[in-house]
Amino acid sequence: MTIVLRLINPIFGLVAAPLLLGIINKTKAGFAGRTGQPLLQPYYDIWKLLHKGAVYSRSTSWVFVAGPLIGLGATVTAAALIPFGALPALVMFQGDFILLVYLFGLSRFFTVLCALDTGSSFEGMGASREVTFSALSEPAMLIGLAAVARHTSYISLSQMFLSTTSDSWLEWGPVSVLVGFALLIVLLAENCRIPVDDPNTHLELTMIHEVMVLDHGGPDFGFILYTAALKMWLLGQILVGIAVPVRSGNPWIDTSASLICMVLLAIVVGAIESSMARLKLLHVPQLLVGATTLSILALVLLPR
Amino acid sequence: MSFGTLLWIVLLLPLASSGICQLIRSPKKILSFVCIGVVCIGILEVVTAGLVFSRNTISSCGEWFYMDALSAYHLIVMALVFCMSSVYGKHYFDKEIRDGIFTIKIAKRYGSLWFASLATMTLVLVSNNLGIMWVGMETTTLVTAFLICIRKDKASIEGMWKYLIVCSVGIAFAFMGTLFVAASAYKLQGGFSGGIFWTQLRTVAGSLDPELMKIGFLFVFVGYGTKAGLSPMHTWLPDAHSQAPSPVSAIFSGFMLNAALYCIMRYTSLIRLVPGDINLSRDLFLVFGALSIVVAAAFILSQHDLKRLLAYHSVEHLGIIAIGMGMGPLGVFAALFHTLNHSICKSLGFFCAGRLGQIYGSHDMRGMTGALRLSPLWGGGLLGSLLALIGIAPFALFMSELLIVKAAIATNLIWVLVVFLAGSCIIFAAASKHALSVVYGTPPVLDSKPHRPSITDTSIVVLSLGVLLVLGLWMPNSLHEILSRAVNITEGMDVVTTVCVK
Amino acid sequence: MNTTADIVMIFLVLTNLMLLGSSRLGACIRTVAVQGILLGLLPLLVKNGSFLVHLIFLSAAIICLKGIVFPGLLMRTLRDMDAQHDVEPFVGYGMSLILAPLALVACMWFGSQLMLPVEIASSLVVPVAFFTITSGLFLIVSRKKALTQVLGYLVMENGIYVFGASIAARQPLLVELGILLDVFVAVFVMGIAIFHINREFEHTDVDRLNKLKG
Repeated sequence: MTIVLRLINPIFGLVAAPLLLGIINKTKAGFAGRTGQPLLQPYYDIWKLLHKGAVYSRSTSWVFVAGPLIGLGATVTAAALIPFGALPALVMFQGDFILLVYLFGLSRFFTVLCALDTGSSFEGMGASREVTFSALSEPAMLIGLAAVARHTSYISLSQMFLSTTSDSWLEWGPVSVLVGFALLIVLLAENCRIPVDDPNTHLELTMIHEVMVLDHGGPDFGFILYTAALKMWLLGQILVGIAVPVRSGNPWIDTSASLICMVLLAIVVGAIESSMARLKLLHVPQLLVGATTLSILALVLLPR
Repeated sequence: MSFGTLLWIVLLLPLASSGICQLIRSPKKILSFVCIGVVCIGILEVVTAGLVFSRNTISSCGEWFYMDALSAYHLIVMALVFCMSSVYGKHYFDKEIRDGIFTIKIAKRYGSLWFASLATMTLVLVSNNLGIMWVGMETTTLVTAFLICIRKDKASIEGMWKYLIVCSVGIAFAFMGTLFVAASAYKLQGGFSGGIFWTQLRTVAGSLDPELMKIGFLFVFVGYGTKAGLSPMHTWLPDAHSQAPSPVSAIFSGFMLNAALYCIMRYTSLIRLVPGDINLSRDLFLVFGALSIVVAAAFILSQHDLKRLLAYHSVEHLGIIAIGMGMGPLGVFAALFHTLNHSICKSLGFFCAGRLGQIYGSHDMRGMTGALRLSPLWGGGLLGSLLALIGIAPFALFMSELLIVKAAIATNLIWVLVVFLAGSCIIFAAASKHALSVVYGTPPVLDSKPHRPSITDTSIVVLSLGVLLVLGLWMPNSLHEILSRAVNITEGMDVVTTVCVK
Repeated sequence: MNTTADIVMIFLVLTNLMLLGSSRLGACIRTVAVQGILLGLLPLLVKNGSFLVHLIFLSAAIICLKGIVFPGLLMRTLRDMDAQHDVEPFVGYGMSLILAPLALVACMWFGSQLMLPVEIASSLVVPVAFFTITSGLFLIVSRKKALTQVLGYLVMENGIYVFGASIAARQPLLVELGILLDVFVAVFVMGIAIFHINREFEHTDVDRLNKLKG
């Protein structure tokens, strides 16, 4: 029974991830007064892309072909590490959150490699921006998770989440809030959301994530879309797990609470995207350093 | 009348006069009112001080006001400096009034701020509550800031802003120190209802927490030291003193710096009674004082603005007073005596510099020569004050500096002695070069001949130089007595402490 | 652990961070106003409930002065000056934000070294007070506009007040009022001074006030 429960977690994530994208788009449309895309549009897009053919430039190498696959593989592996609600993850061991961050890093590394592999200057530009921003957002995430680890005195994600109960909110609530804000900023930065990057822009000078995948087509692009959606789902899971701990003991209640919170998170991201403008490129590092500072604050602030 | 009433009058009369200044119609009348008003208040203050000396201490208002020999002595110095500056100021602005620069609006502001600064400095001296003393010092900064930029030109505004920010930050540090000192009394028998009254802290000084007192004293020293012009916190001093009009520079150098040092002295008298290692206060005084002398010597060498030169002399002399404070009872005696001498001499110096600046049109010493021939009074006054400042016998400053040398030898502080003597030599050479080049030589051709100085101006210069000469040769017994009592208070030798059993 | 005091302290730290990282003067002034209001809540968190009326009055005075009057004065000065942005400071915004947590850690260490009689039962009060003082000093030293220097002074005074509220909290009301009045006059005077600087120089770049040297 436990194996089934623990399998539900990643499988559900794998299936439901593109739905998040759909909710965000619907929210943005709602703010703008439009009807917008159907909720399941991302699924249709991925399905369409998987049936198309791919064209590979002659100036690329095996890296270009392998990149999307490795990214997908890394992210799916990461899905096995993250607990869902009160259910433990499929794979858990001490220090697994470090592996998580590095899996994201691996996927990002190969995306950047693919971008550089094409030899196009636009993609190189996007790659350099992406690496700068992730260099600043990774400490935020790691230190935020370290702060949670310090306060729960566990270093495995599942155990950390399990021991975060509503009582602990009273005890170190401010830490959760600070880490939550830091992780929200990291989520916005990693998933190319406003205020860091506009996912709908296709102007060469303003793209960051979009530009790196400009030359992929067909199934590769389908994989990339799916990977992005899955990454957002996973980061959202971490955020919801820390910020909204509902641990009533009944797995169904916890799981549905987590699901509802994920939907709420998607709506919040959509709202942020609709109400803010993109930050000036030079101010994004300040925002990310601010997120890191919040994480460091959470780490040092309350003595145990 | 009771003493409390006297203290209230001394406090409130300047405030009232400040308000009256707003009602007077002509600049000349305002300056006359300032002159007469300050002289009357000064006489009152001297009477108060006399009462304090005859009765040892005065306190009133449930211990919120308290005066002893130390504060009374400083009150006399303040009265002296303010009276001299006000009388001098009566004729200083004549030319500017004629040219229409010193308008009625500026004059009203000048008069009100002048009286207000007198009131706030008195508040510092009469209050027993260390918090109110701090409030008085902070208000002094704020009130005198606009006295600096009375004529709104770029340089004076720059000087004013630097003064405002640096001194505000310094006074904020002093407040931190006050809080630490209050905290050190907090642990006394589970609660100390004495707040931060100096008299009450003194009686329980034996049981105060030494660590907190030390940290507090450090903050207080750095904070009030900024206001006193000790290096390396002196950066505001040359700008503010050189840009302010001369009467204002005179009260800055003549009394405000001493007021800040007075506040530090109050805390010194507390920390001397705290058990444990008390060398902190001595070391701080010695190090900062020596540093001030060295820095002043370095900058005096390269000066070419007359008022900035005098400002750096202030830094040097405050350094001398500080090292005196760090050398035991004889040193403190010398330091307090030096306070009086320096105030008189520096005020005289600024008076002469101001007038000469008006005659020559600028304070740049490279353009000033032959002052003695142009205006015997002011040139002679400048020469006399500069010579006195560098410590030439038989002026009083020489005597006080000699006493400090004696104290240094007595307490075996040879390194301080060496620094002091080296600094003084350099300053001697540099300042005499500046003084001689300004005073002697052929005067340049000027547009207008300087006016004949009035009786008041002549009497200021002659009397000041006279007092300095007399004090250098003979110290009256009463002055000796007053200074000894003040020394006892500062060194903590006159109080019976009650040690509370924890 | 008194959570309310902790939360107030954390918000205080956040306001300091916002001040260190923000370049828009209007936003900075509003942040200082928020800080003032947070400070006004401190007297009410004192453990012993005696002198209640005295504390409420003090609280109201602080909120009124530090949260409304001072920022109002400074906003008026800002409007007269027509300037909206700080020029690039000596220490850049990103660098300031990185130094901030380091300073906080240093202050926490320093706070743990002091043996103070703490009255507000939150171990965060003394380190956060020192951190606020340090941020204020940092603002004064590293920023180039006169208005930001005044804000730095205000922040420093706020920090000193927090420190004072945590120890030796039995000051007579008169002293507290005197201190508040002093800060009020200081801000007032500084505002007028900035106005004069702007009129005379046509800018308020303190860095360019460098005629007096030597």
